[in-house]
Amino acid sequence: MMKTTRFARLAVPVAAAALLLGACSSDDPAEDSSDEPTSTTTEDAAPSAGGQVAGSVLRANWGGFPENWAPGAEMEAGYMRVPYENLTKLGDDRKPAPWLATSWEQTDEALTLELQPGVTFHDGTPFDAEAVKVNLELIKNTPGPYAGPFQVIDSIDAVNDLTVQINLSAPAPSLLTTLATRAAPMASPAAIADGSIAQTPVGTGPWAYDEAASIAGTRMTFGPFAEYWGDAPGFETVQLFAIEEDNAASTAMINGEIDVTDTELDQLSVFEEAGTFETIAYPGIRNNPMFFDRGPGGMFEELEVRQAACYAINTQVVADLDPDVTPVSQHFAEGEQGYNPAITGYEHDLEMAETLYSQAGSPAVEGDWLSTSFNNRQISVYAEQLGELGFNLTVQEAPPPQYFSEWNAGAYPIGLGSNDELTPYDWYQSWFAAEAPGNPAGVESDQLKAAADAAIAAGTSEEADDLWAEVTLIISEEALTCAHIQSQELIAVNTDTVSGAAAPSEPWETVLINFRDLRPAGS
Amino acid sequence: MGKLVLYRLGFAIPQLLVVSVVVFSLTYLVPGSPAAAILGVSATPESIALVEEQLGLNRPAGERLLEWFGGLVQGDLGTAYRSGLPVTEMLAQRIPATLSMILGGMVVAIVIGVGVGVYTGTRPGTKADRLLTGGTVLGIAIPEFWLGILLTTVFAAQLGWLPIIGWVPFTVDPWGWFVGLILPSLTLGITGGAIIARQTRASMVRALAAPYTDTLTAAGVPRWKILYQYGVKNAMVPVLASIGVVFAILIGVSFVIEKVFSFPGLGSLMLTSTIGQDFPVVQGVVLFTATLVIAVNLLIDILYGLINPQARPA
Repeated sequence: MMKTTRFARLAVPVAAAALLLGACSSDDPAEDSSDEPTSTTTEDAAPSAGGQVAGSVLRANWGGFPENWAPGAEMEAGYMRVPYENLTKLGDDRKPAPWLATSWEQTDEALTLELQPGVTFHDGTPFDAEAVKVNLELIKNTPGPYAGPFQVIDSIDAVNDLTVQINLSAPAPSLLTTLATRAAPMASPAAIADGSIAQTPVGTGPWAYDEAASIAGTRMTFGPFAEYWGDAPGFETVQLFAIEEDNAASTAMINGEIDVTDTELDQLSVFEEAGTFETIAYPGIRNNPMFFDRGPGGMFEELEVRQAACYAINTQVVADLDPDVTPVSQHFAEGEQGYNPAITGYEHDLEMAETLYSQAGSPAVEGDWLSTSFNNRQISVYAEQLGELGFNLTVQEAPPPQYFSEWNAGAYPIGLGSNDELTPYDWYQSWFAAEAPGNPAGVESDQLKAAADAAIAAGTSEEADDLWAEVTLIISEEALTCAHIQSQELIAVNTDTVSGAAAPSEPWETVLINFRDLRPAGS
Repeated sequence: MGKLVLYRLGFAIPQLLVVSVVVFSLTYLVPGSPAAAILGVSATPESIALVEEQLGLNRPAGERLLEWFGGLVQGDLGTAYRSGLPVTEMLAQRIPATLSMILGGMVVAIVIGVGVGVYTGTRPGTKADRLLTGGTVLGIAIPEFWLGILLTTVFAAQLGWLPIIGWVPFTVDPWGWFVGLILPSLTLGITGGAIIARQTRASMVRALAAPYTDTLTAAGVPRWKILYQYGVKNAMVPVLASIGVVFAILIGVSFVIEKVFSFPGLGSLMLTSTIGQDFPVVQGVVLFTATLVIAVNLLIDILYGLINPQARPA
């Protein structure tokens, strides 16, 4: 299964949880309306009860293992969700909900979290405010794609054992969401201190890593954690496997060697033939072109040129080539903050594109478009479509390392990337704010800035949703990006051995399943 | 004999030195910055500079090369950029799987290659010879990746005789280790065996056409003795050289087919490290494989000299 491709897709992705809050400044602090603290609490933060089946083993294959299990290192949720838990999780409404933090209070200056009592890490270390401080500081200081959103943390105070105060240098309306993501699992401070966390995950989850029952590189076994603070899940043990090749994974499923695997569309017929398998599809990574050269004198400076490009691109062609892909009108899906039903996207219309381009004076649009192995075909299709409009974009294919270093660094007028920022705040800060790393031209319209400032000022209040929807609408109207597509993730489950499988509630994750809801079939 | 070993070592050490410098230098040719790859989309010029400083990437190449060599002579290959683990530790985790696969493949290749080569070499022009020699062409032509998938489909999926998840360390379960190695070894060994078989056949035909065989026959030496005591021994001299070549080929092929059999070997480590620009790991893997190839060729040179006195240094 092309772990190469997956790896490559992911290197850019998720990151976002991300980006630099350094820019998070609301220009006028007086406008910040979130001085009024917002708070949440819940009585029951524990996972739902199930009744554990003694001796049951769930065998899941995600095609590899993380290189490093430390918080702040790149780690997909399919692995992380076995030993680790976060301070918050995303609820059904996609809003932060309690987990290891039972309640919180947020202002522009600080986020104060009350922690779940009676929680210990797998190595016996208590989970307390000091542990949270150690974890967040580690994530903030670890070079990597997740550190960005944590730069807004000025300092962390352990107020008492179960209260931690995160002092902010700027308003951070998406911090609670970021705390729910793969960016911020809580690991044992003792394991962090001695460095063993890189190879030996030590979290607070219901399954603890069992090195003796594992085979390096092949199988990681996580046995039941007797001191787990919440309800025990259905499976007593979880084993993770690293079968990278799709055919091999399908064969292992049919052979009964594994129960769950990440898979691809071309394997569906194999499972259909074999019978007792269920496949779960859910939206995964999304991508879209970005017009980088939109500064003064840039080839995409004119709105009409960008809009013309958007109308000229026909995402359906890509979808026809790759059934894994679905064209969508905007970056955020319905139900997510930032989604705006008024955004209809730019449906392919070459005539309209030509009219707009002509209105702009048909300026020369010539340059290179950097691609790599996993997106070369898509970019080539787009470049050809833009060629029909008169653009002369040459697709340059680079090895993945070069691509990741250069595609959005400002050397190319246009790029195609996976923007998997979970919140409109992070998306804006990553790509569209004047100081955003993904905005090498450094330009931003007054209208967009004003709208974003208002949304940031709204903090985590109810009105923030509408304000961020306004921001994403402006981004669409200004054609700063368009041609959004969404890929589909597929998970195959052996229904002879596993019941209760469903798509994960966490968006944007490429390999994941609802581990805690799963039960041995028939139990 | 000692002179032969010293003579060959005298060649191997400069080879290793050159390989080390080339391996280190190659990483400079890869475009892009490891720091940018680590930081992902959040990379800014400032953060890239900071990470480059943390990793020591901003220091002069000569200084870094000297430091790398200093570590190398002490058995320290540096620390992986991404995992923060010592490279030697990462290699130690992966080498058993790769070596097991290569050794298994070599056993299969030698058994098939020498067996088929001797059989066909003693029967040149017969139907069996034509059939088996044609088979060796097929063996060389079949892509190993496809062959691996075919074998797993038949023996694991359809017949259920062998597992898909093959790798178990010998120290954990010797029988499981053996069973898990069967399909990868066959996949590797068939191609290697075909190469060795063709070389062996040609050598056997040459050896048996030499004048000494007529002399031996005239002297009343039994046919089987001529074939197996004299013919095979003489034919093995060039075959040894081909075994060295096949070993090097199998290392490369094992990097590819380990994916089919889910073996946690050096290939996947090399791939992810290359993509992530984790240069210390890439350097470690390349240096290890180069050392392995040089060591095996050294061994073959020595064996070559042992069975062929003419190949020994004067």
